[in-house]
Amino acid sequence: MNSRLGSVLLSLLMSASVMAGEYNLTVDRVEIDTGDFVKDGIGYNGASPGPVMRFKEGENVKINVTNNLDEMTSIHWHGLILPFDQDGVPGISFPGIKPGETFTYEFPIQQAGTYWFHSHSGFQEPDGAYGSIVIEPEGREPFRYDREYVVQLTDKHPHSGDRIMRNLKMMPDYYNREQQTVGEFFSDVSENGLMNTVRDRMAWGGMRMMKADVEDLQGFTGLINGKGPDQNWTGLFEPGERIRLRFINSSAMTYFDIRIPGLDMTVVQADGNNVQPVSVDEFRIGVAETYDVIVRPKGEQAYTIFAESMGRSGYARATLAPEEGMEAFVPQLREPARLTMADMGGMSGMDHGDMDMNSSEGMSGMDHSSMEGMDHANMSNMDHSNMKGMDHSGTSGMDHGSMAMGKEGPSDPFYAKGSGLVPTAANGGKFLSYADLKAQDPLYEDREPTREIELRLTGNMERYTWSINGVKYEDADPIRLKYGERVRFKFVNETMMTHPMHLHGMWSILDVGADQWNPIKHTVSVQPGTTVYMETEVDEPGQWAFHCHLSYHAAAGMFRKVIVEGGPESTQAKTDAAAEEGGEA
Amino acid sequence: MTVSKFLVAAATILLSATTFAAGIHGGGHDHGAASGEPGKASEASRTITVEMYDNYYEPGSIIVSPGETVRFVVENKGNLVHEFNIGTPEMHEGHQEEMMMMVEHGVIQGGKLNHDMMEMDMGNGQSMKHDDPNSVLLEPGQRQEVIWKFSDNSNIEFACNVPGHYQAGMYGDVKVQ
Repeated sequence: MNSRLGSVLLSLLMSASVMAGEYNLTVDRVEIDTGDFVKDGIGYNGASPGPVMRFKEGENVKINVTNNLDEMTSIHWHGLILPFDQDGVPGISFPGIKPGETFTYEFPIQQAGTYWFHSHSGFQEPDGAYGSIVIEPEGREPFRYDREYVVQLTDKHPHSGDRIMRNLKMMPDYYNREQQTVGEFFSDVSENGLMNTVRDRMAWGGMRMMKADVEDLQGFTGLINGKGPDQNWTGLFEPGERIRLRFINSSAMTYFDIRIPGLDMTVVQADGNNVQPVSVDEFRIGVAETYDVIVRPKGEQAYTIFAESMGRSGYARATLAPEEGMEAFVPQLREPARLTMADMGGMSGMDHGDMDMNSSEGMSGMDHSSMEGMDHANMSNMDHSNMKGMDHSGTSGMDHGSMAMGKEGPSDPFYAKGSGLVPTAANGGKFLSYADLKAQDPLYEDREPTREIELRLTGNMERYTWSINGVKYEDADPIRLKYGERVRFKFVNETMMTHPMHLHGMWSILDVGADQWNPIKHTVSVQPGTTVYMETEVDEPGQWAFHCHLSYHAAAGMFRKVIVEGGPESTQAKTDAAAEEGGEA
Repeated sequence: MTVSKFLVAAATILLSATTFAAGIHGGGHDHGAASGEPGKASEASRTITVEMYDNYYEPGSIIVSPGETVRFVVENKGNLVHEFNIGTPEMHEGHQEEMMMMVEHGVIQGGKLNHDMMEMDMGNGQSMKHDDPNSVLLEPGQRQEVIWKFSDNSNIEFACNVPGHYQAGMYGDVKVQ
């Protein structure tokens, strides 16, 4: 045999074996120790978080998942582009994995970057069932680094997911410690006058929310790679090295503001996709998002990775250091952000003077004789039917600037003008905005969308119902898309909470106003009182989940099934089969 | 680049367009002694072709002799605007602040250079032209030469100071030996 042919054959054989990796994961009951408390949870291969799954672009993976629990489970490969029946959502992609059963996932790896995986069954993910995915690209990266670490965050709560959901349903403010107090009411009265204060509170009550509803789940311990602040996960480095940090927010409910005092962070990837590098002092990571940053610590010293929750009710902390055991200063939590009237979205065009304060209908349940009447819980007795007439659809065209917000705060086009949530860097420097994210090498040609679908993000905090267009998942028809079209989604957030919207199976092209440079993501945060657009090239057949990634919002109904009609014929039969089996999403 | 430095620089610009323009124009000349000086084509000992991609160079580093004059043929093979700039790390850091302003003034827009903006009179006949002899700023597909006579300073890098690019790793060592 010709030696050259031989070597070609050999390399073919080698690449065939390299390019078809087989992996095993077990789903297990585990113990989770946060340093603050120890509790039972769910993990993979005996630990929570599970392992870092390392794949190579172009590889065909085979992953055997064995369910050692006494309940159904599933694994969703968050952000991966794959056949819909491998996507791991019970009731949409497949029936789920029964206790004792091994399910084998098989799919090609068609992308590179930082992703993660988690259970899509019940509240197993908040209970610890998550891990990370790192995919090495076929070619070289458009940036350089000497070493890398996964930095995976979560908000570990002492209560189980089921118990949290029960409590939230019973008393939506159960976990909200930042509620405004009677004392604050009086101080507002002295500053703003009684009627203005009452009107302000009335308006908030109308949305069945409180000013402090930045986070509806407090009382957690922030973990980085499974370690609490005192356990201090530490990544080692040699001074002068370039370090790639792969941040993944696997929290059930918590957004984190991340900084490393003393180091610039250069953001090079968002949601696994390369972006034009942008250097920042701090960034906010939404639930389910990932950001890859490069840092270059030059000093022979430790640096703290500090991740404050958006509502400042907790934090995660880790350390980068030349040697194990070194520590740097750990900052204090900053003052909690407070929502403003601007964050009330559709409500903001409202003239408070027009509210009929004397309407017996509007005031019925309110007890004026006691300040207790302003208590969150008692507000639910109010009949707000008179607020319904307001035109929420006008949100996007609304001129926030005309609102008298008092003082000029920081601004970001992805937050309502005058929003109390606009983040600022602790050192006064650059805070990453979605507007800074530009695709490094756009995946899709820019083209006009074929149609627009409006999705109003809706909810009623008093009943802890969360929905889309006012309809919760159980009562909703699926969203039907046509294979080959490009759909423009218009998210109108009519609630006072931030919702990280996650479309499975197809990329979300986030409209940051950069046309062909708009970045592609798998999770798009929509801030209170804002309208955000994203476009999707409908290039994957089958049926997919589309939901808010806050665990308890998704479970409460802010969730849709998306059906892609048409496409390669072979998938149609599989879609029907997956639907047959049912199961819970 | 530290943001406070940038803010100071930005404030300076607001106060004085002259300072701004002088900053961009002055860079190469003021520090010429440190990194070398503009060379003559006739004295070039060799030609090195440098290809710029998103966001890295090929080759990733070069070796020169002290006092050697090199003719660089720089070609942008990426989809974004890139710079090839010879200087010390400190010079690059200073230049990054200027480049940030060029982005904020819309001179650099992803894959395009706004030439009208570069030519714009900033007052006192100054402009945001990027015309130092130690560097070229190129749109995708463009090709230009830099002829540089190196000194014996061994702390020299060639770098792209388009915001974020240097930090992402778009720089290479010039080894003087």
